[in-house]
Amino acid sequence: MIWRAGAALKEVDVWLGLTLRQMTKIGVDSVPIALFIAMFTGIVLALQASYTFTGAIPLYFVGVLVGKTMMLELGPVLTGLALAGRVGANISAELGTMKVTEQIDALETMAYPPVAYLVVPRILAGIIMFPIVTALAIGMGIGAGWLTALQLLDMSTYEFMHGLTLFFLPFDVFFAMIKATSFGFMVTSIGCFYGFQTRGGAEGVGRSTTQAVVISSMVILVLDAFWAVTLL
Amino acid sequence: MSIEIRDLHKAFGSKEVLRGFSATARDGETLVILGGSGSGKSVTLKHVVGLLDPDRGEVLVDGDRVDSLGQAELYALRRKVGYVFQFAALFDSLTVAENVGMGLQRMKEYTPADRERRVEECLDLVDLEGFGSRMPAELSGGQRKRAGIARAIATEPDYLLYDEPTTGLDPLTRAVIDRLINRMKEELRVTGIVITHDMESAFRVADRFAMIHEGRQQFEGSPEEIRETRDPVVRAFIEGRPELIEEVG
Amino acid sequence: MKESRDALVGVVIVAALLLIGFGTLWLQGVSLTGERVDIEAVFERVGQIQPGSDVKLRGVRIGRVRSVEVEPDGELVRLVLRIDGEVTLPEGAVVVLSPESMFGDWQAEIQPPGVYPAQRFSQPREEGTLPGYSLPDISELTAAADDISENLGILTERVGIAFSDETARNIASLIENVEEVTERLSELVSQQATSFTDVTDEVTRATRSIGQAAEDARISFGRIDDLLAREELGETLDDLAVVSANLRELSGEFRETNTEVRQMAARMDTTFASLSRITSELEAGEGTLGRLLQDPTMAAELESTVIELNLLLADIRENPRRYLRLSIF
Ligand SMILES: Nc1ncnc2c1ncn2[C@@H]1O[C@H](COP(=O)(O)OP(=O)(O)OP(=O)(O)O)[C@@H](O)[C@H]1O
Ligand SMILES: [Mg+2]
Repeated sequence: MIWRAGAALKEVDVWLGLTLRQMTKIGVDSVPIALFIAMFTGIVLALQASYTFTGAIPLYFVGVLVGKTMMLELGPVLTGLALAGRVGANISAELGTMKVTEQIDALETMAYPPVAYLVVPRILAGIIMFPIVTALAIGMGIGAGWLTALQLLDMSTYEFMHGLTLFFLPFDVFFAMIKATSFGFMVTSIGCFYGFQTRGGAEGVGRSTTQAVVISSMVILVLDAFWAVTLL
Repeated sequence: MSIEIRDLHKAFGSKEVLRGFSATARDGETLVILGGSGSGKSVTLKHVVGLLDPDRGEVLVDGDRVDSLGQAELYALRRKVGYVFQFAALFDSLTVAENVGMGLQRMKEYTPADRERRVEECLDLVDLEGFGSRMPAELSGGQRKRAGIARAIATEPDYLLYDEPTTGLDPLTRAVIDRLINRMKEELRVTGIVITHDMESAFRVADRFAMIHEGRQQFEGSPEEIRETRDPVVRAFIEGRPELIEEVG
Repeated sequence: MKESRDALVGVVIVAALLLIGFGTLWLQGVSLTGERVDIEAVFERVGQIQPGSDVKLRGVRIGRVRSVEVEPDGELVRLVLRIDGEVTLPEGAVVVLSPESMFGDWQAEIQPPGVYPAQRFSQPREEGTLPGYSLPDISELTAAADDISENLGILTERVGIAFSDETARNIASLIENVEEVTERLSELVSQQATSFTDVTDEVTRATRSIGQAAEDARISFGRIDDLLAREELGETLDDLAVVSANLRELSGEFRETNTEVRQMAARMDTTFASLSRITSELEAGEGTLGRLLQDPTMAAELESTVIELNLLLADIRENPRRYLRLSIF
């Protein structure tokens, strides 16, 4: 299917406008949940860091920990998992319903290649929007961590920022974006795959939706480890 | 511009649905396919546009074997075909007007304004004026079916495949649809296949009849021939008298 | 409705791109406002400094390290520091690299000249580039000190064997005297006196008595001084005097817990370096050794130096936090 999606890329006129719509659905509509998760992650990271460090390690390491963890791991992975649930389920349920109600057949008969029409926009939107949402989530997580440090840990902004910038490398951002892009690709591809595989009415839609979410969550964790092994 | 179905075989797993069905829709004529529920009428129709590939046998559209067409040729063929799905199969993320205009969108000769006009026109033809901005979910079953018909005729195709176009409609709307089917044939010289259980409308639109029974062709002939046939299976079906088959059995 | 949703996609994307762009730049320490200037400094080695490390002037962060590169000839390392253009650097400023904490983050401090002994700085070949010096790690420091104290130990042993007659007796009693003081001192230190100030007071007092003993020795052997007019020897003795003075000062500094420990570490480094030089000179120069062995002052100074050093090192090793508290925790 991915190969077919690649081949369908040349039908620009079909997917271009649809991609924008999917970017709204996959990306923009996911921003609130991603930010929500990131906010609490940031707060908890800051509190737990200070709890773990008691006395032995200077407090500005809270900044190091929040920044590094958000960027390298939790930002991309938690956002990925949240979107695997939200976007993966949405895609496979929608495509599954289209499949069982013959809408995909209808597309075929109207000479719209379903892959170009349905799959390409979703995968493209995933590839574009996952990093975008992840970037916002990372920003949110770090921001929440900073406010927590300021309000609850009696740290100064300088201390926190000092920790944040201490071991920062532009590579961290690159790494986060690579991860998010690959997660976006996998979650949307898997959602589309299971959507197209759907057979047999509402029950079939439920089954493929569950499978899409479970498989994409697993793939995210495996990919996460893969990038850690290959890029770090 | 004919559609020839020859010795079509199709099985799903161990379930043999079609076991050598044949029928022909001649150029500019309407073929009505009859058959019991689950006899494989919809499956047959899907072979015509290549949604399904036959296990054996072939479907020729204007002389070309559908299952041997390349991707581009198949899509070129599909552009000439309007397909009315049994359950409408409207895209439920699009408005009714967007559904109807979808085929037009890929035709360069239509400007956005032309397209809008044509969509209005088609909705008018199926008595759905003013429903353009609704979502499919907001329509009744009959309205959805009519929107599906509007979508199929919008591109003025050479072939029209109707899968139970009048099922679930009131008698008045049924008559409107039947008239529409005939008008498409007369004005645009459309070659059509109509699947229906509704004998009244079948006789209104048919130039020829074919009947599937147990996966094979039970009957093929003109409206006059079917009225006069002695075949008990066919008679039982068109008269709604199951006892006729039992007598034979 | 649909228009505004599409616009939202744009807004979200632009917001995220801005966040990525500016966030990365900012975290790298690239400032987007205000004039920035680059200054350069050269070093023999740079510890664990890396691009992004803080640049400070009198404790205030004024910029970041931009690049760290070995010069083409491989002799020196050149650092480019990007700092606030509005800061006026002290006349003849030097750059000192030092650990900011024990966790591997280093900083570059711009210093007025004279805070650290000048001879340790790598001198740049061209105008405009600042001289730089990288502080040794505490581990390097103790390793060096180990070497020195071992050398010194061997040396004093030899001194003890070589002396005979009256001189020897005098020195022996001196050493005894010193040993007594030493014992008292190590006792004190090992008792882990509650207040650090008390300990340092004791150290100072002990040092003073060592000094007194050395003075006694000098008087009783004053006549031998005449024999030691040779220039070469005098130089070495001068060095040794400097070393002792440094050490004494060092112990005095412990009292002021607020003293910049880094500065202290630097001085220790210098002290060790000169000690090491002296001991190796003693080991190498055969003729000189013979003459040195006749100098009681030298022996006394050496002895006290060794003792102080050993005490100091032992204490540092046992209680590193006492000395490093300020910079780390
Ligand atoms: N994709 C498919 N997979 C498996 N079985 C199928 C599939 N499509 C159709 N069938 C089976 O083929 C048989 C014929 O189905 P078809 O939809 O052609 O019936 P039909 O003649 O159109 O009936 P109706 O008048 O009720 O619409 C049915 O038994 C159906 O279960
Ligand atoms: Mg059917």
